[in-house]
Amino acid sequence: MINETNKIIDSLGGTTALAKLLDVNLSAVSNYRKKGFPARLHYKIASLCNERSISIDEKIFGGISGNILPIDSRPIEILSDVSINIMENLVSDEFELIDPPTLVSADKVLDRLGENIADRLYIFSDPGGTRLCLRPDLTIPTCIHYLNSGFTGEKKNYAYHGKVFQFQNPASNEPNEFSQAGLESIGGDSSLDSEVEIFYRTYDSLKKAGIKTLNISMGDVSLFSLLIDVLDIPLIWKDQLKTKFWNDKNFKLLLDELSVKKKFDNKLFYKISDLDQEMAEVFVRDTIGLSENQSPVGRSVREITERLMKKSQEINIKPLSKNTSDLIRNFLSISDSPKEAIKKLKTILKNVDSKLDAKIEIINERVDKILDLKIDLKDSIFSLEKGRTVEYYTGFLFDYNCPIKTKSINIAGGGRYDDLMKSVSSNLDIPAFGAALNLERIENVIAKEKLL
Amino acid sequence: MSSLLLALPSKGRLHEQMNKFFESSGLTLSRSGGDRTYSGFIKGIKKIEILYLSASEISGELLKGNIHMGITGIDLIEESRTSASKEVVLLSKLGFGKANVVVAVPNSWIDVENIKDLSEVASEFRSYNNRRIRVATKFKNITRNFFSHNGISNYRLVDSAGATEGSPAAGTSEIIVDITETGQTIEANNLKILNDGVMLESQSCIFSTTSNIWDDVDLEPVEKFLRIISARSEAMNKVELFFDYIDDKNGLEINLYRKFKAIFSKGSPDLGEATSLIVPISEITSCSLYLTSLGYGPIRTNQPNFIYNKESDSWNILRQSINRV
Repeated sequence: MINETNKIIDSLGGTTALAKLLDVNLSAVSNYRKKGFPARLHYKIASLCNERSISIDEKIFGGISGNILPIDSRPIEILSDVSINIMENLVSDEFELIDPPTLVSADKVLDRLGENIADRLYIFSDPGGTRLCLRPDLTIPTCIHYLNSGFTGEKKNYAYHGKVFQFQNPASNEPNEFSQAGLESIGGDSSLDSEVEIFYRTYDSLKKAGIKTLNISMGDVSLFSLLIDVLDIPLIWKDQLKTKFWNDKNFKLLLDELSVKKKFDNKLFYKISDLDQEMAEVFVRDTIGLSENQSPVGRSVREITERLMKKSQEINIKPLSKNTSDLIRNFLSISDSPKEAIKKLKTILKNVDSKLDAKIEIINERVDKILDLKIDLKDSIFSLEKGRTVEYYTGFLFDYNCPIKTKSINIAGGGRYDDLMKSVSSNLDIPAFGAALNLERIENVIAKEKLL
Repeated sequence: MSSLLLALPSKGRLHEQMNKFFESSGLTLSRSGGDRTYSGFIKGIKKIEILYLSASEISGELLKGNIHMGITGIDLIEESRTSASKEVVLLSKLGFGKANVVVAVPNSWIDVENIKDLSEVASEFRSYNNRRIRVATKFKNITRNFFSHNGISNYRLVDSAGATEGSPAAGTSEIIVDITETGQTIEANNLKILNDGVMLESQSCIFSTTSNIWDDVDLEPVEKFLRIISARSEAMNKVELFFDYIDDKNGLEINLYRKFKAIFSKGSPDLGEATSLIVPISEITSCSLYLTSLGYGPIRTNQPNFIYNKESDSWNILRQSINRV
């Protein structure tokens, strides 16, 4: 392998020439001669060789990143300079380059993303009868790669790039297939540092690729569910508020509804109110007309009984107080520069619950860490509404947008999705945090910024 | 000037009902070159070329903008419509093929009576069963739109080719979305339609695409055809009541309209003349009894075959939608 590395260094003009090409010092290149090329340079080396029609033995990459860098299946000559630049910055010793599957189980994708996105997916059955889907993003395939590698919670950092497939309205002029690059940190503990690291690496690679102006928007959806948890409202309403959170229109309707005395048409809600669980189950069995060993279609007797009992409790609950509903509304309306937003949060959530204070402190610490990295957040927005339209993230989330004339173009984004591994593997509770970049849009933006 | 392509259902009950409708409209359909071909024309109306396709093909071709007009169901149009579809407009309801797309749950779900209950159950379902609630249907688009409009997001659609009603009992889904005329099959399978569970009221209609294939079509025969079709469908569910207008009752005209949606054919009637009133067929008895109670009579009824209005709604809709006013 080392022989092969040396051959390449020589073909590319020798130590000094290559050091210049790679913008590294001479000792680094002589190090490569002894230890081989580091993973983060594989793309650059491969493309340099390709430009000069130097054939390479893929074994030289094999020693470091195993067999997961498929030079054959990924023709590097079609990667543009910008994309190569971005990949060089994303891939490093900490973030291993992987090649996740293109075809994924349609059921897994639908279970994760919900039916609302189904009409944007390319779904088909293979000759074996399995329903498959062309990956609509690289996050689910990366999780599958993690599981297929046999990991069950160990921390792994990955980098990837590849084509993804989403049907777009032809009028939108958006391509149905485009290239995504990204980072994922799966497993370990869900630490603030890995969030900040991925946030920073994304930012850094965009800047180094040549993006001039970046507008950052951030949010943290876990704060809302914590707020609902600590507020003095009945459990059944907490569940409803958390479920409807993802749809603003229905959420507002629900808030209005909970603020007035509810009426219930179903007489069973009243009939069951004095019974204990056991008697209630007997009552439910009798009402349906089930014998001892029969069960209802689709749901269990326990499920139906518990819901009836919850509804019967709801009959006597006092409507949501104006203070509470106002607090929730005010909370969600906060949208400001990160430091200002945190100040406002502290003001309206003062003396509500110490758990909220601790959470806000974490959000503050995260912002401080980002500021320490010399990222300018003056024009950035921290919004409590962020993430509500996509029922996807579970905590911190962010977007990088570029202003081009009057439009704002989203070029990258990411966040925490701690429940994703569970829906892919069905029983593992593994934290995950990641970011994805839209390579074509980045190139477009760079080209347009040059014209402005 | 090129011909217009009109697609008609080629088989099944829809084909028979459509044939009856054309017959009763006095339009004779002819197949070019024998009964087994899939193209034809209308006798006496030039430049309208008929294609016989299945009802679902017709909605697909309309939405792609490949044919000018077609007869198919509202359900099939709504189901095939995607973000990439051409705009398709409804020109006239034809009064046959009536059925509803409904959502139904097992009878044993005694805690579920309406969509809001279902929405709550769908949210809780995962915590009991570690997967989303499954909805068997062949109306995926209609279901997605309706559920998303009603804030239900925790569900999965399950393909259903036929016998959708059987899938909860078979364990392949928990609930269903299906089309039904009477609801009998759904009941027979121990399922109940939710109180507010009618997602779509469908019937056979004549639709047109608004794509640019209309650009060089001669509209004269189209106008004639649409006037006949809408005059026939206008008349189908209406009855004409004749009586002598012997007494000028104050507010009679307004009351008849408010109570029965009944309209005098000749604006305001003149005293002492025989007059005619157009009434929806469902109101025939109550409207007649109301008139006799006011001292009018005898009331004679007649079923009109056609009602030609001065302005034909379907012709106007078409002209506007293809910008040929």
